[in-house]
Amino acid sequence: MSDATSPEAGGLGNDERRLTPAYRPSQVEKQAPCQAGCPNCGDIRGWIGTVAQRDKLGLTKEEAYERAWRMITDVNPFPSVLGRVCPHPCETHCNRAEHDEPLAINAMERFLGDWAIEADIPLPTIDGEAGPEWVGVVGAGPSGLSFAYQMARRGYRVTVYEGREKAGGMLRFGIPDYRLPPAVLDAEIEKIERLGVEIELETAVGRDVSLQELKQRHAALYLGIGAQAGRGLGVPGEDGPGVWTGTEFLSLVNCGEPVDPGTRVAVIGGGNTAIDAARAARRLGAEVTILYRRSRTEMPAIEHEIDDALEEGVELVLLASPVRLERQPNGDLATLIAQRMELGEPDDSGRRRPVPIPDSELELPVSAVIAAVSQAPDIRGFEDLDQDGGWFLTGNGGAVGDGVWAGGDALGLGIAGMAIVQGRHAAEALHARFRGLAPPEAPENGKRLVGADEIIMEFHETRPPALPERLSPEERLAAPMAEVSGRITEEQFLAETSRCFSCGSCFGCSQCEMFCTSGCFTKLEEVGPGIYFTLTLEQCQECGKCVEVCPCGFLEVN
Amino acid sequence: MRFPSQRSVADSFSSIPLDAGADLALKDGSRVAVIGGGPAGSFFSYFLLKMAEAIDLELEVDIFEPRFFTRGGPSGCNHCGGIVSESLVQILAAEGINLPTEVVQRGIESYVVHMDVGSVAIQSPAKESRIAALYRGNGPRDGSELQWESFDGYLQGMAVERGARVRHKLVTGVDWTDGKPVLIENDGHASAYDLVTVSAGVNSNFIGMLKDSPAGVAPPKTTRTYICEFKVGREGVHEIMGNAMHVFLLSIPRLEFAALIPKGEFVTMVMLGDELDQELVHAFLDDPTVRRCFPTDEKPVVCSCSPLINMGATKRPYGDRIVMIGDSGVTRLYKDGIGASYRTAKAAAATAVYQGISADTFEEHYWPACKAISSDNAIGKVIFGVTTLFKHSKISRRAILRMTSLEQEQEKAPHMSSVLWNMFTGSAPYKEIFTSTLHPGFIGSLVWNLAHGMRPSGGNGKVA
Repeated sequence: MSDATSPEAGGLGNDERRLTPAYRPSQVEKQAPCQAGCPNCGDIRGWIGTVAQRDKLGLTKEEAYERAWRMITDVNPFPSVLGRVCPHPCETHCNRAEHDEPLAINAMERFLGDWAIEADIPLPTIDGEAGPEWVGVVGAGPSGLSFAYQMARRGYRVTVYEGREKAGGMLRFGIPDYRLPPAVLDAEIEKIERLGVEIELETAVGRDVSLQELKQRHAALYLGIGAQAGRGLGVPGEDGPGVWTGTEFLSLVNCGEPVDPGTRVAVIGGGNTAIDAARAARRLGAEVTILYRRSRTEMPAIEHEIDDALEEGVELVLLASPVRLERQPNGDLATLIAQRMELGEPDDSGRRRPVPIPDSELELPVSAVIAAVSQAPDIRGFEDLDQDGGWFLTGNGGAVGDGVWAGGDALGLGIAGMAIVQGRHAAEALHARFRGLAPPEAPENGKRLVGADEIIMEFHETRPPALPERLSPEERLAAPMAEVSGRITEEQFLAETSRCFSCGSCFGCSQCEMFCTSGCFTKLEEVGPGIYFTLTLEQCQECGKCVEVCPCGFLEVN
Repeated sequence: MRFPSQRSVADSFSSIPLDAGADLALKDGSRVAVIGGGPAGSFFSYFLLKMAEAIDLELEVDIFEPRFFTRGGPSGCNHCGGIVSESLVQILAAEGINLPTEVVQRGIESYVVHMDVGSVAIQSPAKESRIAALYRGNGPRDGSELQWESFDGYLQGMAVERGARVRHKLVTGVDWTDGKPVLIENDGHASAYDLVTVSAGVNSNFIGMLKDSPAGVAPPKTTRTYICEFKVGREGVHEIMGNAMHVFLLSIPRLEFAALIPKGEFVTMVMLGDELDQELVHAFLDDPTVRRCFPTDEKPVVCSCSPLINMGATKRPYGDRIVMIGDSGVTRLYKDGIGASYRTAKAAAATAVYQGISADTFEEHYWPACKAISSDNAIGKVIFGVTTLFKHSKISRRAILRMTSLEQEQEKAPHMSSVLWNMFTGSAPYKEIFTSTLHPGFIGSLVWNLAHGMRPSGGNGKVA
């Protein structure tokens, strides 16, 4: 007999003669699906948990925000920017989708990014790691700046060479202001500059400086030159006024250059550049039609951006591909002739290949055509490096040659998050080489991905996700540069963090401690996301209850 | 002619001493927290809301229960043998609560008492299966038949139907602010209530956390039991067990009590004993008497646990605005814990609704219900002590076997049969059992059979 709170020793556990398998628990942190979905492999669960569990951690709201923001910026110096433009594959993977709706991770990231801008929090540095090496970066886009940041925060001297008049790359010249206000981009670039990164603007390789010179000047070079050369349509009538590539058009609009596409614009393509160009043209007052050669399901653009474009009055003509452009005698565009398509067998990308339908031409009166079909790097000045059909070919850790590394769209088109992670990986690899360290290991190494079936979803009340306020289509067209999507409120942000299941990581729900009558679980003095209890199995009765009440899949049978 | 004023008319009809500490009574809109959504918590919520409705009192009742009885295996289980006694089945029926077939795994028609000297089946005195074998949660691990429903889940559903709200939150503490309890949830969320009812049992550490509360409660004494589930298959269960619960009176050191209970495709084994360990479990399973009835070879055990049971009342299971019921308060020795939950829950609910929620009120109106159980337990201890003496003597084992067999076969007055029946089912108070052993018929028959016990005789042979 004993007091309920001080269980007797021994009992039925820890004995080979047991009748059941030994349901002894062990604490095993697993990889969360959001992290698995993120190209940057950010500790999303960790930073959300830091805010959600702030009371248990004894943190004020501000302390929690700062700690969470530092966790994000450990891998990504652009939370405010990516919180606006990232297509957030993390959310697509979120286990909460099986319960109600995925967490609004993107909106939370933006909240923290904006908070850190307003609170003027400097980017975190890593002390005592640097050496005397001076590294050069070509291109001040997300990839180059990510690399620059990761080197500078370790104490290296970094110079970035940028051919354009402003830093930001595609984030500045390729994404319209209504999605990403320039002030936000400026603020996050400024934080990187404050770490000592020098950005030399209007300094293009091959024009103002040669690759050879840079190689001699720097201990290593990182090339983040992007893929800014838009590809044409390759149809008759394309050459002449009124035809732009998507990147050209967006760059002109974003720089405030005078651009007049007239009243009837056709945008060719189904990616984000096509949608951005169409919405930008719509804001200039044109009637806009997007032509895409496959069906809507195959469109690579972010789903809600397509919806936004449609709301703003952009027409979508699917399964159609231009065959020629007809011009008026004065050379102005007159008509776009397109051919209807149907979907055939899947191609290499797994998407169904569009096949022309004979004698199915359609005509579209046009004043301008924007070709947003594809982009490629502009490799002038870099001809000596390893390439494959105009794209850089990288080996181990992003090296394209001796002392030269590359990342971002120049390796292949991808989302900004991909460009940022490539910059970071190159920096980590280079730093390891400079200092003679072992190559860095991915944080998720050896961790098993936690499945939705391991989460006790009923433990969490269903609750809709935080949705920001958004401008109506009328308001958007009336104020073309106004940001469409607002920021979630602090209240929404805090509520949203508490929707996280904390998949595969202890969030201190205390059920194991509460229901173990053998006292196997002891609360730690200092707790943190993933670490709340120590586990000693001497008194374990092997009932397995702790494992089976664990709502986040952290405990498992040993 | 004088007419009484409205006020005095109201007073004359009022049996509720609302004036005595008006603050310490439930009022319209009062908030009641029930910590633990097992039978005690659900019965309490059910009766509280039902009684409140009868006097037009609107209450808000939150049942805090982080677990889900819809889940199989230990996570949604409340760890007990899963027998609802005949008396409780009748009482529930009188309350309008009829356990549905999805909840009852098997109606128990008889008890088979196994001893080394033989076995005897005791039929239900009413000759109908009114004892229910059931699962508290949604059945053991590896259950392949999903048609059952959790008993605890069923009761919780009834409370919800009455208007209680189940909050799947873990309460990790109670603070007291201005004399009112404030529940602290694990995520730091705090909310004040007018009354807190603790029905957290003894298999969570919650009551330990109340030690420092001004309510002055001290957790009850506990001891470990052992329960496991053999997966036998529905046909096998029927063949081996029938509609009978099998209990064993064996002379094995440290073994207090052991029973096998048929449930669906499983057989539940329940053991009570001193310092229960695997050695004792195996001593029991290897005993020839047990093997004769239930050879365990190649019967996989899919679930096992060693839950604590309450072995003594909580010293003072109440305070201002707090009351402890079920296992967290007082329960019956070894048996019929659910019946005790029912009784304490109903008594606490009636006190809270009709009398008030101060410590004094609970002492006056709730404590007697607890005390009755406690005193009966004292008699129960004597009975179990005598039984222990009996089961360690071969002569007395033979006497019990012979006496019971004769009663069952020749439809004689069921002296020994009803003593055993009531002991094993927990159907009657221990006092009643004790009284029946003082019946001259019982004593006479026992002495006669003890004399016969000097030589061996078989059982009634009704055991497979």
